[in-house]
Amino acid sequence: MPSPLHSSKPLEERAGYFPVSGVHLYTVLHEAPNPLARVLLVGPFASERHNSYLPWVRWARFLAGEQIEVLRYDYRGIGESTGDFEQMTFADWQQDVQRLAAWLEARSPHVPLLLHGLGMGALLAGRAFDDGVGDGLLLWSPPQNANQALRATLMRWVGLEQIFKFGDERKSASDYIREIEQGNRLEVDGYCWSLDLWRDSFHVTMPQSLASEEGAALAYKRPVRIVKLTREAAPLTKGGIVGYDDLKDFNWLFEPNCSWVTGRFAKSASPSGMGIAYA
Amino acid sequence: MREAIADRELIVLDGLGTQMLGTLHRPADWRADTSVPARPGVLFLNSLSLPRAASGDSAVHWAASIAAEGYPACRVDLPGVGDTAGSSSTELLDFINGGGFTTAATAAIEELVERYNLTGVVLFGHCAGSVSAIYAAAASKNCSGLILLDPYFHLPQARRPKVREGLSTWARRSALGGLMSGLYDRARKLLLMLRGSQPPGNANTELLARWKQVASTGVPILLLKAPGIKAQGAKPRVGEFDYIDYVVQLAGRKSCATVKFVESADHSFANREGHAAVQMHIDKWLAAHFPLDAVEAVQPGAGPLRVGESDITNHDSNAVPADRVCALEGR
Repeated sequence: MPSPLHSSKPLEERAGYFPVSGVHLYTVLHEAPNPLARVLLVGPFASERHNSYLPWVRWARFLAGEQIEVLRYDYRGIGESTGDFEQMTFADWQQDVQRLAAWLEARSPHVPLLLHGLGMGALLAGRAFDDGVGDGLLLWSPPQNANQALRATLMRWVGLEQIFKFGDERKSASDYIREIEQGNRLEVDGYCWSLDLWRDSFHVTMPQSLASEEGAALAYKRPVRIVKLTREAAPLTKGGIVGYDDLKDFNWLFEPNCSWVTGRFAKSASPSGMGIAYA
Repeated sequence: MREAIADRELIVLDGLGTQMLGTLHRPADWRADTSVPARPGVLFLNSLSLPRAASGDSAVHWAASIAAEGYPACRVDLPGVGDTAGSSSTELLDFINGGGFTTAATAAIEELVERYNLTGVVLFGHCAGSVSAIYAAAASKNCSGLILLDPYFHLPQARRPKVREGLSTWARRSALGGLMSGLYDRARKLLLMLRGSQPPGNANTELLARWKQVASTGVPILLLKAPGIKAQGAKPRVGEFDYIDYVVQLAGRKSCATVKFVESADHSFANREGHAAVQMHIDKWLAAHFPLDAVEAVQPGAGPLRVGESDITNHDSNAVPADRVCALEGR
């Protein structure tokens, strides 16, 4: 299989703006002819978006190259989407998933829809799936709750901060958490976290049934795959150097996950071509 | 899905057969046809592998602010970066330092000028993006100015050796390490003095030549500098070569380079205070060098500044400077 990293083959990719509640979500649709499935990618949160953008885009292209149509997007108030980050809530970001999933599903209701999330995106995708959205779910490094995801982002940022600090200038993650719990806004890589965001994050939790694949299989009767990414997957996980690790070859990660998607969502040989056989 | 909303639209630049995706921020009074007075635009180039929104979405905010002042601003993803397809590899830093994006960036300039009837294009680059901007400015006759944030003129390593990384970590964490780090800096200072005013062996001589070519013609240049690691105000760390001072001298008497030190910023310029300071400097500089009749945004006293001016203009912040990790640090 040719590596998308070095491929110059043009793919059909359509960028656009999707209106939701007074703002616009930036979306990119990776079209595939006669798709086996459609996937909504629910990506990394805030500053994590920038660090992992290239592998995330390449993952979308990889899937599209395997006849899977993909929609990726930026959360409200982040990246190319409009809106003020500080005004946004987890409820807003949850609604983004629901709205885009509905839009993607409506494009062709008989093609299965998979939700795929990473980090905070895994949490939002998991909660949408628990609400009945999607025919399958793929989670990469899902947190137990949104606070865990925020802490992971904070830890990464603090790690970067500390590289350039000496002696007393160095502050720990605990110091920053104390500051935000005292009501101070915390600016993490250009995004201002409020006390409300921090407090709300404790209440946005992953459904209990998604604690394991076995539990999910029993609860949902729909395919679920949960993958804990290792350090090798940086910057999709903590760590990595911008301009180096984000340009690595990620096929070792993409291939088995793509195979799982194509295996689970192979079309049946029904005359209409619309039936779905879950493997 | 829409391709345009109130103040911005998604565009595809296709100058050399490589489709580059970008976002165009439109001034309120501006329409993309030739019936309105021509004016310069601003083109943002990627910083290393970061997508066109840049760290903390700072490029989105700056572009919107520039458009609000009356100048069309375009943020483009160069080939292999962001949403634009193309080859890329872990050698991206070397590619950029050798001027690898010059062809794509100049193609983008020419296409923007032609499509939107621009009088020229001011290139905006941050960090590695500023390297691409300097190369492109030297190659394009339609580049009318440069905005450079924390440019570097040496050849950094994408990954530092593990031993050096370990020593740096030790120096940061322990008192003894901090002391040794200080001694190391003084030893480097001694070597620097012995070498005189010549740049170090890892200077990017090709880039310096391009800088001289561009700056010596009098093209307006705004150079913004954030505090560096263990830096002393606008000056670099003890023992570190002062490239900014060097390039200002190299530019010669005809040059029109303005150097500003943004004390409250970190290397990303994405923190709130650094972000606002950059926006203020850009607005003033554009109004001074590229005045628009229709725009009443020229600040009182914002006259052109000349080579050698290096005034600290942002004293009002108590924020602790915060550098971000970047392959280009540790120069």
